[in-house]
Amino acid sequence: MKKLALISIPLTLFLLALSSYLALAVAPTESTMGDVQRIFYYHVPSGWVAGLCFTINFLASIYYLWSRSPASDAVAAASAEVGVVFGAVLLITGPLWARPVWGIWWTWDARLTTTLILWLIYVSYLVLRRFAAGGQTQVLAAAFAIFGFADVPIVYFSIRWFRTQHPAPVIGGGPDSGLAPPILHVFLTNLALFTVLGMIYLVLRYKLQMQEQALESAHAQAALKGVA
Amino acid sequence: MNSITFLKAAYTIAWLVYLGYLGRILLRLRRVEEEIKEVAVSSSSPAAENIRPGVQQRA
Repeated sequence: MKKLALISIPLTLFLLALSSYLALAVAPTESTMGDVQRIFYYHVPSGWVAGLCFTINFLASIYYLWSRSPASDAVAAASAEVGVVFGAVLLITGPLWARPVWGIWWTWDARLTTTLILWLIYVSYLVLRRFAAGGQTQVLAAAFAIFGFADVPIVYFSIRWFRTQHPAPVIGGGPDSGLAPPILHVFLTNLALFTVLGMIYLVLRYKLQMQEQALESAHAQAALKGVA
Repeated sequence: MNSITFLKAAYTIAWLVYLGYLGRILLRLRRVEEEIKEVAVSSSSPAAENIRPGVQQRA
């Protein structure tokens, strides 16, 4: 545990410090929105990692239903929780960016609404795992996760299908989309840094999940011994 | 409030959430490891002695 803490704490601090330095000191000031646009360098990578984690959760859940492997269930549980944390940052930084730029904290537009629903789906998934009784919790959670994932492509395509308040995609969004090279470089670097950060959390959370499974087994064996 | 306040708030909250979550995982890991050791020590059966962290046992 101490070894894990000695590695993960400095690494997390380094990743957060470097991404903040790039966003706040290296990236140029955007001409229309000014400095508040720098929220973009945390907002979008957080959303990217959340989407990545929900995709991992989806794949692990399918594999769990096929194999009943405890490791795949642990991957599914870990990825859902990490995804919810990154999704929370996405949902917090969004309104903090929207308020000075749009003049409102929130609006029920397609992207915002589907993202909130997605986050609530995975919060429900974690609640189900935490409180469901009986031996079929993992199977129920896996089935829930597979259906819940249907919202991920809807969130991704929502700004292409519906032109509401949220801006159109700035990358791969058509001939008029795109970022200036200095902004693009910082954005892609932060995307990579956040991906590494997400994977660190995922590995740690997976290890915790496996430990909790081992503890449950230890208690079960102790109880059996008590009965015998 | 000017826009810099929103920028500072966004970065502060993001740092707090990410560091807080890391701290929570590490604390939970420590607690579970300690509990596994306690269960293994309190039970003298061969099955309990074989309990290793990260290994799913059959109940």
